[in-house]
Amino acid sequence: METVTWVVVAVAVLLAAAWYLSYSAARLDRLHAQVEGSLSALDAHLVRRAEAALELANAGALDPASALLLASAASDALERTTDRLGDDDLLEGQHFGGRESVESDLTQSLALALTPDIVADIVARDGLAADALDRLEAASRRVQLARRFHNNAVKDVQRVRGKTVVRVFRLAGHADLPQTVEFDDELPVLSAVAGPPS
Amino acid sequence: MRVGIVCPYSFDVPGGVQFHVRDLARYLLAAGHHASVLAPADDNTELPDYLVSCGRAVPVRYNGSVARLTFGPVTAARVSRWLSDGNFDVVHLHEPVTPSASLLALWAAEGPIVATFHTANLRSRAMQAAYPMLRPSLEKIGGRIAVSEEARRTVTTHLGGDAVVIPNGVDVAAFASATVDPRYAGTPDRPTVAFLGRIDEPRKGLHVLSRGFEEVLRARPGARLLIAGPGSVEQARERMTPSVAAASEFLGLISDADKARLFASVDAYAAPQTGGESFGIVLVEAMAGGAPVVASDLPAFVRVLQPAPGGEVAGVLFPNEDGANLGRCLVALLDDPARRADLRTAGHRRAASFDWSRVAKDIVAVYDTVTNTGGW
Repeated sequence: METVTWVVVAVAVLLAAAWYLSYSAARLDRLHAQVEGSLSALDAHLVRRAEAALELANAGALDPASALLLASAASDALERTTDRLGDDDLLEGQHFGGRESVESDLTQSLALALTPDIVADIVARDGLAADALDRLEAASRRVQLARRFHNNAVKDVQRVRGKTVVRVFRLAGHADLPQTVEFDDELPVLSAVAGPPS
Repeated sequence: MRVGIVCPYSFDVPGGVQFHVRDLARYLLAAGHHASVLAPADDNTELPDYLVSCGRAVPVRYNGSVARLTFGPVTAARVSRWLSDGNFDVVHLHEPVTPSASLLALWAAEGPIVATFHTANLRSRAMQAAYPMLRPSLEKIGGRIAVSEEARRTVTTHLGGDAVVIPNGVDVAAFASATVDPRYAGTPDRPTVAFLGRIDEPRKGLHVLSRGFEEVLRARPGARLLIAGPGSVEQARERMTPSVAAASEFLGLISDADKARLFASVDAYAAPQTGGESFGIVLVEAMAGGAPVVASDLPAFVRVLQPAPGGEVAGVLFPNEDGANLGRCLVALLDDPARRADLRTAGHRRAASFDWSRVAKDIVAVYDTVTNTGGW
């Protein structure tokens, strides 16, 4: 009788432990998927931002020097994107491949090229450039959102992966620990489409 | 895009979250999206097409005030059915940390989730007690929105991580086009001051205003206090001095159209709330409608009235809970027509930044971001 009770207790404990392990693994898996999703969203919006910037540079609304500055920053950003999607990306899309500086450069070039006067001029003329400006604003806003949401997801993964059960049982497998993405994503000052009041 | 919105509070009772959800759903539908709202509602009330009821709400005390919420296994089943029938691209939960349909939906939903945090006063003790259970669910939220800096600070303190601030929206045009109503309009001898909010909820601050109104009556014996909002009128009258009670007119729950006319007509709108306000949408509505605003200096109110520190204030601020000071502010405002006109202009200008067209665009940007799984 004694032995039977012990066996039952032991089996119950084992089952509970097994359930907890598989639950933790599933939770971690979901978090990893979320990080990958948010990173690819960030990537997509960055590409859109760079394309809109390139289009704006070529729309003839800027002076040649500003246009060149913007075009070169935008094409740098676009080039880095294709780099990262290559076969030698060993981190399976879980990191940002050192693109931070390129994206910060684009943000700063936008701030330099798009002074309030020039923006007002583009909006007033309402042509190809105004169209590109609209898309640039939308993409820049979404880049801001995507980066914040991605960093939230990364922090969740980092926290869960710090838990003892995850470390001891190696529930994360060989997946790299994702890192937050930090770069300057301030919106350019677009008078016509100012961000929400804060 | 197919959007499923969950509102934790009953649509039978007016409230900031409910209005926000209703207006968001209408905007999304008008913009050609599919939107469905899941919220508690009485079975015998007339429901708009986009609303699905998740059962009758029961009044519960939560987070310092009485809220009408639904929970339990029946609600959980209805939530799951709504989720699987809806086949949503994105599920947008409001106030996910309440014992409500929002939390149940967070539990059950798979796929992209956006959550909006409205409150600025989460009880940290309750949060900590339930945290280990809530955390895995909260991790599923792909995009967090806070309606104000205060709400955002609550999110970062209690949940960690960050949230983007997108304020509540107001249909500015609807308020701005309201006309003056003789029922509410003041005359030089009988100026009118409006109050909106539940009259038996202490943190709405009617007691502060009724203290302040004694001062107003001393200066302007004919002044009228127009009080709009649900609650027991007898009890509210008993708590007032006889003179204030005599000068008070209780309008009960008023329609949106009447609310807009009220703001267009009165000489001042008083917001004496003592706390627990995260955003103060009613301030924006008052400004859009053209009422000069006198508000307590809660951080949320300061931010609405004064966007830049040290900059223009689109209203009058008084020290929180200081009824006498509120009274003096009101008297000064009633004595100064030029100041009132200035405040009306400043208020219109300030309210424009909270227009739905602008706010909804930002919310859709959040949907885009969380649903975008790369590739395009």
